Amino acid sequence: MIRLEHVSKSYRTSTRPALDDVTVAVGKGEFAFLIGPSGSGKSTLLRLLLREEVASAGDVYVADLNVGRLSQRRIPQLRQRVGCVFQDFRLLANKTVSENVAFALEVIGKPRHTIRKVVPEVLELVGLEGKADRMPHELSGGEQQRVAIARAFVNRPLVLLADEPTGNLDRDISHEIMLLLERINRTGTTVLMATHDHTIVDSMRRRVVELHLGQVVRDESRGVYGVSR
Amino acid sequence: MRASFVFSEVVTGLRRNVTMTVAMILTTAISLGLLGGGLLVVRTIDRMQQDYYQRVETVVYLSADISANDPGCTSSTCSALRGQLESAPGVQTVIFESRQAAFARFQRIFQGQPELLQLARPEALPASLRVQLSDPARFPSIAKAFTGRPGVDRVTDQGEYLRQLFRALDGLRNATFVIALIQALAALLLISNTIQISAFTRRAEVGVMRLTGASRWYTQLPFLLEAVVAGVVGGVLAIVGLVIGKVAFVDRVLAGVFEAAIVPRIGYADIFSVAPVLLLVGSVVAALTGYLTLRLYVRT
Ligand SMILES: Nc1ncnc2c1ncn2[C@@H]1O[C@H](COP(=O)(O)OP(=O)(O)OP(=O)(O)O)[C@@H](O)[C@H]1O
Ligand SMILES: [Mg+2]
Repeated sequence: MIRLEHVSKSYRTSTRPALDDVTVAVGKGEFAFLIGPSGSGKSTLLRLLLREEVASAGDVYVADLNVGRLSQRRIPQLRQRVGCVFQDFRLLANKTVSENVAFALEVIGKPRHTIRKVVPEVLELVGLEGKADRMPHELSGGEQQRVAIARAFVNRPLVLLADEPTGNLDRDISHEIMLLLERINRTGTTVLMATHDHTIVDSMRRRVVELHLGQVVRDESRGVYGVSR
Repeated sequence: MRASFVFSEVVTGLRRNVTMTVAMILTTAISLGLLGGGLLVVRTIDRMQQDYYQRVETVVYLSADISANDPGCTSSTCSALRGQLESAPGVQTVIFESRQAAFARFQRIFQGQPELLQLARPEALPASLRVQLSDPARFPSIAKAFTGRPGVDRVTDQGEYLRQLFRALDGLRNATFVIALIQALAALLLISNTIQISAFTRRAEVGVMRLTGASRWYTQLPFLLEAVVAGVVGGVLAIVGLVIGKVAFVDRVLAGVFEAAIVPRIGYADIFSVAPVLLLVGSVVAALTGYLTLRLYVRT
Protein backbone atom coordinates (compact mmCIF):
# COMPACT_ATOMS: atom_id res chain seq x y z
CA MET A 1 0.00 0.00 0.00
CA ILE A 2 2.88 2.33 0.88
CA ARG A 3 6.29 1.79 -0.64
CA LEU A 4 9.47 3.86 -0.53
CA GLU A 5 12.42 2.76 -2.64
CA HIS A 6 15.82 4.29 -1.94
CA VAL A 7 14.20 7.57 -1.06
CA SER A 8 16.34 10.55 -0.09
CA LYS A 9 15.16 14.03 0.70
CA SER A 10 17.37 17.05 1.13
CA TYR A 11 15.90 20.41 1.96
CA ARG A 12 17.53 23.24 0.13
CA THR A 13 18.29 25.10 3.35
CA SER A 14 19.92 22.30 5.30
CA THR A 15 23.16 20.44 4.76
CA ARG A 16 22.20 17.02 6.14
CA PRO A 17 19.55 15.10 4.19
CA ALA A 18 16.28 14.71 6.13
CA LEU A 19 15.88 11.24 4.64
CA ASP A 20 18.81 9.19 3.44
CA ASP A 21 18.24 6.18 1.18
CA VAL A 22 15.08 4.96 2.90
CA THR A 23 13.48 1.75 1.65
CA VAL A 24 10.36 0.60 3.48
CA ALA A 25 6.97 -0.87 2.63
CA VAL A 26 3.72 -0.99 4.57
CA GLY A 27 1.15 -3.51 3.37
CA LYS A 28 -2.58 -3.12 2.97
CA GLY A 29 -4.40 -3.03 6.29
CA GLU A 30 -1.19 -2.89 8.28
CA PHE A 31 -0.62 -0.70 11.35
CA ALA A 32 2.89 0.70 11.71
CA PHE A 33 4.63 3.14 14.03
CA LEU A 34 7.27 5.48 12.72
CA ILE A 35 9.57 6.40 15.58
CA GLY A 36 12.83 8.16 16.08
CA PRO A 37 14.29 11.18 17.83
CA SER A 38 13.36 14.71 16.93
CA GLY A 39 14.69 15.66 13.52
CA SER A 40 15.08 12.06 12.37
CA GLY A 41 12.78 12.63 9.37
CA LYS A 42 9.40 11.22 10.45
CA SER A 43 7.33 14.21 9.38
CA THR A 44 9.34 14.48 6.19
CA LEU A 45 8.47 10.90 5.29
CA LEU A 46 4.77 11.55 5.84
CA ARG A 47 4.94 14.75 3.80
CA LEU A 48 6.44 12.81 0.91
CA LEU A 49 3.51 10.41 1.04
CA LEU A 50 1.10 13.34 0.77
CA ARG A 51 3.15 14.97 -1.96
CA GLU A 52 3.59 18.02 0.26
CA GLU A 53 7.23 17.57 -0.63
CA VAL A 54 8.91 15.74 -3.48
CA ALA A 55 11.72 13.26 -2.90
CA SER A 56 15.18 14.31 -4.08
CA ALA A 57 15.89 10.73 -5.14
CA GLY A 58 14.07 7.40 -5.20
CA ASP A 59 10.43 6.48 -5.72
CA VAL A 60 7.40 6.82 -3.45
CA TYR A 61 4.29 4.76 -4.10
CA VAL A 62 0.87 4.94 -2.47
CA ALA A 63 -1.51 2.26 -3.73
CA ASP A 64 -0.93 2.31 -7.49
CA LEU A 65 0.22 5.94 -7.64
CA ASN A 66 3.81 6.94 -8.20
CA VAL A 67 3.58 9.92 -5.89
CA GLY A 68 6.65 11.83 -7.06
CA ARG A 69 5.57 11.64 -10.69
CA LEU A 70 1.99 12.79 -10.24
CA SER A 71 1.04 15.81 -12.29
CA GLN A 72 -0.28 18.79 -10.34
CA ARG A 73 -3.74 17.98 -11.59
CA ARG A 74 -3.71 14.44 -10.21
CA ILE A 75 -2.45 15.30 -6.73
CA PRO A 76 -6.04 15.56 -5.45
CA GLN A 77 -6.58 11.91 -6.43
CA LEU A 78 -3.75 10.94 -4.09
CA ARG A 79 -4.95 13.10 -1.23
CA GLN A 80 -8.50 11.80 -1.50
CA ARG A 81 -7.13 8.33 -0.79
CA VAL A 82 -4.86 9.39 2.05
CA GLY A 83 -6.30 10.82 5.26
CA CYS A 84 -4.07 12.62 7.69
CA VAL A 85 -4.17 13.96 11.24
CA PHE A 86 -1.71 16.14 13.10
CA GLN A 87 -0.62 17.02 16.57
CA ASP A 88 -2.39 20.39 16.31
CA PHE A 89 -5.76 19.03 15.02
CA ARG A 90 -6.14 21.80 12.39
CA LEU A 91 -9.88 22.18 12.84
CA LEU A 92 -11.69 25.18 11.39
CA ALA A 93 -12.53 27.36 14.38
CA ASN A 94 -15.65 28.94 12.89
CA LYS A 95 -17.35 25.70 11.92
CA THR A 96 -19.17 23.20 14.14
CA VAL A 97 -17.98 19.63 14.60
CA SER A 98 -20.24 18.26 11.90
CA GLU A 99 -19.48 21.18 9.57
CA ASN A 100 -15.78 20.51 10.00
CA VAL A 101 -16.27 16.91 8.97
CA ALA A 102 -18.68 17.78 6.17
CA PHE A 103 -16.21 20.36 4.82
CA ALA A 104 -13.82 17.59 3.78
CA LEU A 105 -16.57 16.11 1.60
CA GLU A 106 -17.95 19.38 0.30
CA VAL A 107 -14.61 20.48 -1.09
CA ILE A 108 -14.27 17.32 -3.12
CA GLY A 109 -17.75 17.80 -4.53
CA LYS A 110 -19.66 15.01 -2.77
CA PRO A 111 -23.43 15.33 -3.14
CA ARG A 112 -25.32 16.77 -0.22
CA HIS A 113 -27.42 13.69 0.52
CA THR A 114 -24.26 11.60 0.85
CA ILE A 115 -22.79 14.12 3.24
CA ARG A 116 -25.95 14.13 5.37
CA LYS A 117 -25.77 10.37 5.63
CA VAL A 118 -22.09 9.70 6.27
CA VAL A 119 -21.17 12.56 8.61
CA PRO A 120 -23.34 11.30 11.51
CA GLU A 121 -22.09 7.76 10.88
CA VAL A 122 -18.45 8.73 11.19
CA LEU A 123 -19.15 10.94 14.22
CA GLU A 124 -20.70 7.92 15.87
CA LEU A 125 -17.66 5.81 14.94
CA VAL A 126 -15.33 8.25 16.71
CA GLY A 127 -17.68 8.56 19.70
CA LEU A 128 -18.90 12.12 19.22
CA GLU A 129 -22.54 11.50 18.33
CA GLY A 130 -23.88 13.98 20.90
CA LYS A 131 -21.47 16.78 20.03
CA ALA A 132 -22.14 17.40 16.36
CA ASP A 133 -23.18 21.01 16.89
CA ARG A 134 -20.41 22.08 19.25
CA MET A 135 -17.72 24.48 18.14
CA PRO A 136 -14.12 23.22 18.34
CA HIS A 137 -13.27 25.50 21.28
CA GLU A 138 -16.08 23.86 23.26
CA LEU A 139 -14.30 20.49 23.07
CA SER A 140 -11.43 18.91 25.01
CA GLY A 141 -8.18 18.20 23.21
CA GLY A 142 -9.01 14.51 22.91
CA GLU A 143 -12.41 15.32 21.46
CA GLN A 144 -10.89 17.74 18.99
CA GLN A 145 -8.51 15.06 17.81
CA ARG A 146 -11.49 12.75 17.35
CA VAL A 147 -13.08 15.34 15.09
CA ALA A 148 -9.85 15.56 13.12
CA ILE A 149 -9.77 11.77 12.79
CA ALA A 150 -13.42 11.73 11.73
CA ARG A 151 -12.62 14.33 9.07
CA ALA A 152 -9.62 12.36 7.85
CA PHE A 153 -11.59 9.14 7.73
CA VAL A 154 -14.99 10.29 6.46
CA ASN A 155 -14.05 9.77 2.81
CA ARG A 156 -12.87 6.22 3.64
CA PRO A 157 -9.21 6.65 2.67
CA LEU A 158 -7.00 3.67 1.93
CA VAL A 159 -4.30 5.07 4.17
CA LEU A 160 -4.43 7.12 7.36
CA LEU A 161 -1.28 9.05 8.22
CA ALA A 162 -0.94 10.41 11.74
CA ASP A 163 1.89 12.76 12.73
CA GLU A 164 2.18 12.63 16.54
CA PRO A 165 -1.60 12.61 16.97
CA THR A 166 -1.22 12.20 20.73
CA GLY A 167 1.56 14.76 21.10
CA ASN A 168 -0.73 17.28 22.78
CA LEU A 169 -2.74 14.82 24.85
CA ASP A 170 -2.22 13.20 28.24
CA ARG A 171 -1.73 9.50 28.70
CA ASP A 172 -5.33 8.30 29.22
CA ILE A 173 -6.70 10.39 26.39
CA SER A 174 -3.84 9.21 24.19
CA HIS A 175 -4.82 5.65 24.92
CA GLU A 176 -8.39 6.31 23.81
CA ILE A 177 -7.15 7.89 20.59
CA MET A 178 -5.04 4.77 19.98
CA LEU A 179 -8.10 2.57 20.46
CA LEU A 180 -9.88 4.68 17.88
CA LEU A 181 -7.00 4.38 15.40
CA GLU A 182 -7.03 0.62 15.96
CA ARG A 183 -10.72 0.53 15.21
CA ILE A 184 -10.11 2.42 11.99
CA ASN A 185 -7.30 0.04 11.16
CA ARG A 186 -9.68 -2.90 11.62
CA THR A 187 -11.88 -1.52 8.82
CA GLY A 188 -8.98 -2.34 6.50
CA THR A 189 -7.38 1.08 6.48
CA THR A 190 -3.60 1.14 6.50
CA VAL A 191 -2.35 3.30 9.39
CA LEU A 192 1.08 4.87 9.64
CA MET A 193 1.68 6.86 12.78
CA ALA A 194 4.74 8.93 13.67
CA THR A 195 5.26 9.24 17.40
CA HIS A 196 7.67 9.92 20.25
CA ASP A 197 5.42 8.23 22.77
CA HIS A 198 7.12 5.04 23.93
CA THR A 199 4.36 4.04 26.33
CA ILE A 200 1.96 3.80 23.44
CA VAL A 201 4.38 1.96 21.19
CA ASP A 202 5.28 -0.46 23.95
CA SER A 203 1.65 -1.19 24.85
CA MET A 204 0.44 -1.75 21.29
CA ARG A 205 3.15 -4.22 20.18
CA ARG A 206 2.71 -3.35 16.52
CA ARG A 207 5.18 -2.97 13.72
CA VAL A 208 7.86 -0.37 14.47
CA VAL A 209 10.00 1.43 11.90
CA GLU A 210 12.71 3.47 13.54
CA LEU A 211 14.48 6.37 11.83
CA HIS A 212 17.73 7.91 12.94
CA LEU A 213 19.31 10.83 11.09
CA GLY A 214 17.11 10.04 8.12
CA GLN A 215 17.98 6.35 7.90
CA VAL A 216 15.94 3.28 8.81
CA VAL A 217 17.81 1.71 11.71
CA ARG A 218 15.19 -0.82 12.82
CA ASP A 219 12.09 -2.45 11.40
CA GLU A 220 10.36 -4.99 13.67
CA SER A 221 6.96 -6.53 13.20
CA ARG A 222 5.94 -6.53 16.89
CA GLY A 223 8.33 -3.99 18.27
CA VAL A 224 8.73 -1.80 21.34
CA TYR A 225 10.09 1.73 21.50
CA GLY A 226 13.41 0.13 22.33
CA VAL A 227 16.72 0.84 23.93
CA SER A 228 18.19 3.24 21.48
CA ARG A 229 16.36 6.21 22.93
CA MET B 1 -18.87 21.13 -8.34
CA ARG B 2 -21.25 22.35 -5.69
CA ALA B 3 -22.24 25.86 -6.69
CA SER B 4 -23.88 26.70 -3.37
CA PHE B 5 -20.71 25.81 -1.50
CA VAL B 6 -18.47 27.94 -3.69
CA PHE B 7 -20.97 30.78 -3.55
CA SER B 8 -21.11 30.78 0.24
CA GLU B 9 -17.31 30.77 0.36
CA VAL B 10 -17.26 33.84 -1.88
CA VAL B 11 -19.76 35.70 0.29
CA THR B 12 -17.83 34.83 3.44
CA GLY B 13 -14.62 35.96 1.83
CA LEU B 14 -16.04 39.31 0.75
CA ARG B 15 -17.70 39.93 4.11
CA ARG B 16 -14.58 39.16 6.06
CA ASN B 17 -12.66 42.07 4.56
CA VAL B 18 -15.44 44.59 4.12
CA THR B 19 -13.19 47.63 4.01
CA MET B 20 -10.85 46.10 1.45
CA THR B 21 -13.80 44.87 -0.57
CA VAL B 22 -15.38 48.32 -0.64
CA ALA B 23 -12.08 49.98 -1.58
CA MET B 24 -11.51 47.41 -4.30
CA ILE B 25 -14.99 47.83 -5.76
CA LEU B 26 -14.92 51.64 -5.65
CA THR B 27 -11.53 51.88 -7.29
CA THR B 28 -12.62 49.47 -9.96
CA ALA B 29 -15.81 51.49 -10.47
CA ILE B 30 -13.96 54.79 -10.83
CA SER B 31 -11.52 53.28 -13.27
CA LEU B 32 -14.27 51.72 -15.37
CA GLY B 33 -16.32 54.93 -15.14
CA LEU B 34 -13.42 56.92 -16.56
CA LEU B 35 -12.93 54.34 -19.25
CA GLY B 36 -16.64 54.63 -20.09
CA GLY B 37 -16.39 58.43 -20.11
CA GLY B 38 -13.44 58.21 -22.47
CA LEU B 39 -15.36 55.88 -24.77
CA LEU B 40 -18.30 58.28 -24.79
CA VAL B 41 -16.01 61.16 -25.70
CA VAL B 42 -14.64 59.04 -28.53
CA ARG B 43 -18.15 58.34 -29.81
CA THR B 44 -19.04 62.00 -29.62
CA ILE B 45 -15.90 63.06 -31.42
CA ASP B 46 -16.51 60.52 -34.16
CA ARG B 47 -20.01 61.73 -34.69
CA MET B 48 -18.97 65.37 -34.67
CA GLN B 49 -16.24 64.67 -37.17
CA GLN B 50 -18.66 63.02 -39.57
CA ASP B 51 -21.07 65.86 -39.11
CA TYR B 52 -18.65 68.70 -39.53
CA TYR B 53 -16.48 67.35 -42.25
CA GLN B 54 -19.55 66.71 -44.30
CA ARG B 55 -20.30 70.39 -44.10
CA VAL B 56 -16.86 71.82 -44.70
CA GLU B 57 -15.36 72.27 -48.08
CA THR B 58 -11.96 72.68 -49.54
CA VAL B 59 -12.04 75.67 -51.85
CA VAL B 60 -9.77 76.25 -54.83
CA TYR B 61 -10.05 79.96 -55.65
CA LEU B 62 -9.45 80.70 -59.27
CA SER B 63 -7.37 83.50 -60.76
CA ALA B 64 -8.78 86.93 -61.61
CA ASP B 65 -8.59 86.10 -65.27
CA ILE B 66 -10.78 83.06 -65.05
CA SER B 67 -13.09 84.76 -62.57
CA ALA B 68 -13.67 87.55 -65.02
CA ASN B 69 -13.79 85.73 -68.33
CA ASP B 70 -14.96 82.19 -67.80
CA PRO B 71 -18.43 82.13 -66.17
CA GLY B 72 -19.05 78.49 -67.18
CA CYS B 73 -15.63 76.93 -66.50
CA THR B 74 -15.31 76.11 -70.15
CA SER B 75 -11.76 77.42 -70.75
CA SER B 76 -9.12 74.77 -71.10
CA THR B 77 -7.33 75.89 -67.88
CA CYS B 78 -10.47 75.77 -65.75
CA SER B 79 -11.90 72.54 -67.14
CA ALA B 80 -8.50 70.87 -66.84
CA LEU B 81 -8.29 71.93 -63.21
CA ARG B 82 -11.75 70.61 -62.56
CA GLY B 83 -10.98 67.33 -64.28
CA GLN B 84 -7.78 66.84 -62.28
CA LEU B 85 -9.55 67.66 -59.04
CA GLU B 86 -12.32 65.20 -59.83
CA SER B 87 -9.88 62.40 -60.44
CA ALA B 88 -7.68 63.22 -57.43
CA PRO B 89 -7.84 60.55 -54.68
CA GLY B 90 -10.23 61.26 -51.82
CA VAL B 91 -12.33 63.76 -53.75
CA GLN B 92 -16.05 63.22 -53.68
CA THR B 93 -17.55 66.08 -55.67
CA VAL B 94 -16.29 69.23 -57.36
CA ILE B 95 -18.64 72.13 -57.95
CA PHE B 96 -17.77 75.22 -59.94
CA GLU B 97 -18.96 78.51 -58.48
CA SER B 98 -18.76 81.42 -60.85
CA ARG B 99 -18.20 85.02 -59.81
CA GLN B 100 -21.93 85.69 -60.29
CA ALA B 101 -22.92 82.70 -58.22
CA ALA B 102 -20.48 83.74 -55.51
CA PHE B 103 -21.93 87.21 -55.52
CA ALA B 104 -25.48 85.85 -55.32
CA ARG B 105 -24.49 83.76 -52.34
CA PHE B 106 -22.80 86.76 -50.75
CA GLN B 107 -26.01 88.72 -51.17
CA ARG B 108 -28.00 85.94 -49.59
CA ILE B 109 -25.71 85.69 -46.61
CA PHE B 110 -25.61 89.41 -45.92
CA GLN B 111 -29.26 90.12 -46.70
CA GLY B 112 -29.67 91.83 -43.34
CA GLN B 113 -26.81 94.27 -43.87
CA PRO B 114 -27.65 96.53 -46.82
CA GLU B 115 -24.69 98.86 -46.18
CA LEU B 116 -22.35 95.98 -46.72
CA LEU B 117 -24.21 94.89 -49.85
CA GLN B 118 -23.95 98.35 -51.27
CA LEU B 119 -20.21 98.37 -50.90
CA ALA B 120 -19.75 94.98 -52.49
CA ARG B 121 -19.03 94.52 -56.19
CA PRO B 122 -19.02 91.18 -57.97
CA GLU B 123 -15.47 91.99 -59.16
CA ALA B 124 -14.19 91.62 -55.61
CA LEU B 125 -15.23 87.96 -55.45
CA PRO B 126 -13.27 85.21 -57.18
CA ALA B 127 -14.78 82.20 -58.89
CA SER B 128 -13.94 78.93 -57.21
CA LEU B 129 -13.99 75.16 -57.42
CA ARG B 130 -15.61 73.83 -54.27
CA VAL B 131 -14.37 70.39 -53.37
CA GLN B 132 -15.96 67.85 -51.03
CA LEU B 133 -13.40 65.42 -49.69
CA SER B 134 -14.44 61.94 -48.65
CA ASP B 135 -11.55 62.01 -46.20
CA PRO B 136 -10.75 65.43 -44.75
CA ALA B 137 -7.23 64.29 -43.96
CA ARG B 138 -6.53 64.47 -47.69
CA PHE B 139 -6.56 68.24 -47.65
CA PRO B 140 -2.78 68.83 -47.40
CA SER B 141 -2.02 66.72 -50.46
CA ILE B 142 -4.72 68.49 -52.50
CA ALA B 143 -3.47 71.88 -51.35
CA LYS B 144 0.09 70.97 -52.26
CA ALA B 145 -0.84 69.63 -55.68
CA PHE B 146 -2.95 72.61 -56.73
CA THR B 147 -1.38 75.65 -55.10
CA GLY B 148 0.51 77.71 -57.66
CA ARG B 149 -0.97 75.99 -60.69
CA PRO B 150 -1.91 78.23 -63.58
CA GLY B 151 -5.39 79.56 -63.01
CA VAL B 152 -5.29 78.90 -59.26
CA ASP B 153 -5.20 81.81 -56.87
CA ARG B 154 -5.04 79.90 -53.59
CA VAL B 155 -6.40 76.78 -51.91
CA THR B 156 -8.14 77.11 -48.55
CA ASP B 157 -9.68 74.69 -46.20
CA GLN B 158 -12.41 75.58 -43.78
CA GLY B 159 -11.49 72.44 -41.91
CA GLU B 160 -8.35 73.93 -40.36
CA TYR B 161 -10.10 75.44 -37.34
CA LEU B 162 -12.07 72.22 -36.92
CA ARG B 163 -8.90 70.25 -36.85
CA GLN B 164 -7.74 72.40 -33.97
CA LEU B 165 -10.99 71.81 -32.17
CA PHE B 166 -10.70 68.08 -32.67
CA ARG B 167 -7.10 68.08 -31.57
CA ALA B 168 -8.29 69.60 -28.31
CA LEU B 169 -11.04 66.99 -28.00
CA ASP B 170 -8.57 64.22 -28.79
CA GLY B 171 -6.39 65.57 -26.02
CA LEU B 172 -9.34 65.47 -23.64
CA ARG B 173 -10.03 61.87 -24.63
CA ASN B 174 -6.41 60.84 -24.21
CA ALA B 175 -6.22 62.51 -20.81
CA THR B 176 -9.34 60.61 -19.74
CA PHE B 177 -7.82 57.35 -20.88
CA VAL B 178 -4.53 58.05 -19.11
CA ILE B 179 -6.33 58.75 -15.84
CA ALA B 180 -8.46 55.65 -16.41
CA LEU B 181 -5.30 53.64 -16.91
CA ILE B 182 -3.64 54.91 -13.74
CA GLN B 183 -6.85 54.29 -11.85
CA ALA B 184 -7.02 50.81 -13.38
CA LEU B 185 -3.54 50.08 -12.12
CA ALA B 186 -4.65 51.08 -8.62
CA ALA B 187 -7.70 48.86 -9.01
CA LEU B 188 -5.58 45.90 -10.10
CA LEU B 189 -3.21 46.30 -7.16
CA LEU B 190 -6.17 46.51 -4.79
CA ILE B 191 -7.80 43.43 -6.27
CA SER B 192 -4.54 41.54 -6.04
CA ASN B 193 -4.01 42.71 -2.49
CA THR B 194 -7.55 41.80 -1.45
CA ILE B 195 -7.10 38.31 -2.82
CA GLN B 196 -3.87 37.88 -0.94
CA ILE B 197 -5.48 39.04 2.29
CA SER B 198 -8.44 36.83 1.61
CA ALA B 199 -6.18 33.87 1.01
CA PHE B 200 -4.30 34.65 4.19
CA THR B 201 -7.41 34.91 6.35
CA ARG B 202 -8.61 31.65 4.86
CA ARG B 203 -5.31 29.78 5.02
CA ALA B 204 -6.75 27.25 7.48
CA GLU B 205 -9.58 26.39 5.11
CA VAL B 206 -7.26 26.29 2.13
CA GLY B 207 -4.89 24.05 4.08
CA VAL B 208 -7.68 21.60 4.84
CA MET B 209 -8.87 21.73 1.24
CA ARG B 210 -5.41 20.90 -0.01
CA LEU B 211 -4.99 17.97 2.32
CA THR B 212 -8.43 16.54 1.65
CA GLY B 213 -7.73 16.53 -2.07
CA ALA B 214 -9.92 19.38 -3.26
CA SER B 215 -9.20 20.20 -6.86
CA ARG B 216 -7.60 23.44 -7.86
CA TRP B 217 -10.99 24.75 -8.91
CA TYR B 218 -12.47 24.26 -5.47
CA THR B 219 -9.60 25.97 -3.71
CA GLN B 220 -9.16 28.81 -6.17
CA LEU B 221 -12.58 29.50 -7.62
CA PRO B 222 -13.85 31.36 -4.54
CA PHE B 223 -10.91 33.76 -4.77
CA LEU B 224 -11.32 34.21 -8.51
CA LEU B 225 -15.03 34.85 -8.09
CA GLU B 226 -14.30 37.46 -5.44
CA ALA B 227 -12.23 39.31 -8.00
CA VAL B 228 -14.89 38.91 -10.68
CA VAL B 229 -17.56 40.18 -8.29
CA ALA B 230 -15.42 43.28 -7.77
CA GLY B 231 -15.13 43.68 -11.53
CA VAL B 232 -18.83 43.25 -12.21
CA VAL B 233 -20.10 45.32 -9.28
CA GLY B 234 -17.52 47.97 -10.17
CA GLY B 235 -18.78 47.91 -13.75
CA VAL B 236 -22.41 48.29 -12.68
CA LEU B 237 -21.51 51.20 -10.40
CA ALA B 238 -19.56 52.78 -13.24
CA ILE B 239 -22.59 52.56 -15.53
CA VAL B 240 -24.83 54.03 -12.85
CA GLY B 241 -22.23 56.77 -12.41
CA LEU B 242 -22.27 57.55 -16.12
CA VAL B 243 -26.06 57.81 -16.13
CA ILE B 244 -25.98 60.11 -13.10
CA GLY B 245 -23.18 62.10 -14.72
CA LYS B 246 -25.25 62.53 -17.85
CA VAL B 247 -28.42 63.62 -16.07
CA ALA B 248 -26.86 65.78 -13.38
CA PHE B 249 -23.91 67.27 -15.18
CA VAL B 250 -23.58 66.91 -18.94
CA ASP B 251 -27.24 67.57 -19.75
CA ARG B 252 -27.29 70.71 -17.61
CA VAL B 253 -23.92 72.26 -18.24
CA LEU B 254 -23.89 71.53 -21.94
CA ALA B 255 -27.63 72.18 -22.51
CA GLY B 256 -26.94 75.24 -24.70
CA VAL B 257 -24.31 73.44 -26.72
CA PHE B 258 -26.67 70.55 -27.41
CA GLU B 259 -29.46 72.98 -28.25
CA ALA B 260 -27.29 74.65 -30.87
CA ALA B 261 -26.37 71.20 -32.19
CA ILE B 262 -22.70 72.08 -31.89
CA VAL B 263 -22.06 68.88 -29.99
CA PRO B 264 -24.30 65.87 -30.58
CA ARG B 265 -26.29 64.93 -27.52
CA ILE B 266 -25.07 61.96 -25.45
CA GLY B 267 -28.04 59.64 -25.15
CA TYR B 268 -28.87 56.70 -22.90
CA ALA B 269 -28.35 54.54 -25.95
CA ASP B 270 -24.73 55.68 -26.03
CA ILE B 271 -24.24 54.80 -22.37
CA PHE B 272 -25.86 51.42 -22.79
CA SER B 273 -23.75 50.66 -25.79
CA VAL B 274 -20.54 51.17 -23.79
CA ALA B 275 -22.01 49.34 -20.76
CA PRO B 276 -21.26 45.80 -22.01
CA VAL B 277 -17.70 46.85 -22.77
CA LEU B 278 -17.26 48.09 -19.21
CA LEU B 279 -18.71 44.93 -17.69
CA LEU B 280 -16.62 42.72 -19.92
CA VAL B 281 -13.39 44.63 -19.33
CA GLY B 282 -14.10 44.76 -15.60
CA SER B 283 -14.76 41.07 -15.13
CA VAL B 284 -12.09 39.75 -17.51
CA VAL B 285 -9.35 42.00 -16.16
CA ALA B 286 -10.34 41.23 -12.57
CA ALA B 287 -10.36 37.49 -13.26
CA LEU B 288 -6.94 37.65 -14.90
CA THR B 289 -5.58 39.64 -11.97
CA GLY B 290 -7.02 37.08 -9.58
CA TYR B 291 -5.58 34.20 -11.54
CA LEU B 292 -2.11 35.72 -11.70
CA THR B 293 -2.19 36.61 -8.01
CA LEU B 294 -3.06 33.03 -7.08
CA ARG B 295 -0.33 31.73 -9.37
CA LEU B 296 2.32 34.03 -7.98
CA TYR B 297 1.50 34.43 -4.31
CA VAL B 298 -0.80 31.70 -3.09
CA ARG B 299 0.35 28.15 -2.64
CA THR B 300 -2.26 25.56 -3.46
N1 LIG C 1 10.84 22.78 5.47
C1 LIG C 1 12.08 22.44 5.87
N2 LIG C 1 13.14 23.11 5.40
C2 LIG C 1 14.39 22.77 5.76
N3 LIG C 1 14.67 21.78 6.60
C3 LIG C 1 13.65 21.07 7.10
C4 LIG C 1 12.30 21.37 6.75
N4 LIG C 1 11.50 20.50 7.40
C5 LIG C 1 12.31 19.70 8.11
N5 LIG C 1 13.61 20.03 7.95
C6 LIG C 1 14.77 19.36 8.53
O1 LIG C 1 14.69 18.02 8.16
C7 LIG C 1 15.05 17.17 9.24
C8 LIG C 1 13.91 16.22 9.53
O2 LIG C 1 12.79 16.95 9.97
P1 LIG C 1 11.40 16.27 10.32
O3 LIG C 1 10.43 17.34 10.57
O4 LIG C 1 11.09 15.28 9.29
O5 LIG C 1 11.76 15.53 11.67
P2 LIG C 1 10.79 14.75 12.67
O6 LIG C 1 11.34 13.40 12.79
O7 LIG C 1 9.40 14.88 12.26
O8 LIG C 1 11.05 15.56 14.00
P3 LIG C 1 10.01 15.83 15.20
O9 LIG C 1 9.95 14.56 15.94
O10 LIG C 1 10.68 16.90 15.99
O11 LIG C 1 8.73 16.25 14.60
C9 LIG C 1 15.38 18.12 10.40
O12 LIG C 1 16.78 18.25 10.43
C10 LIG C 1 14.73 19.42 10.01
O13 LIG C 1 15.48 20.49 10.50
MG1 LIG D 1 7.67 15.86 13.05
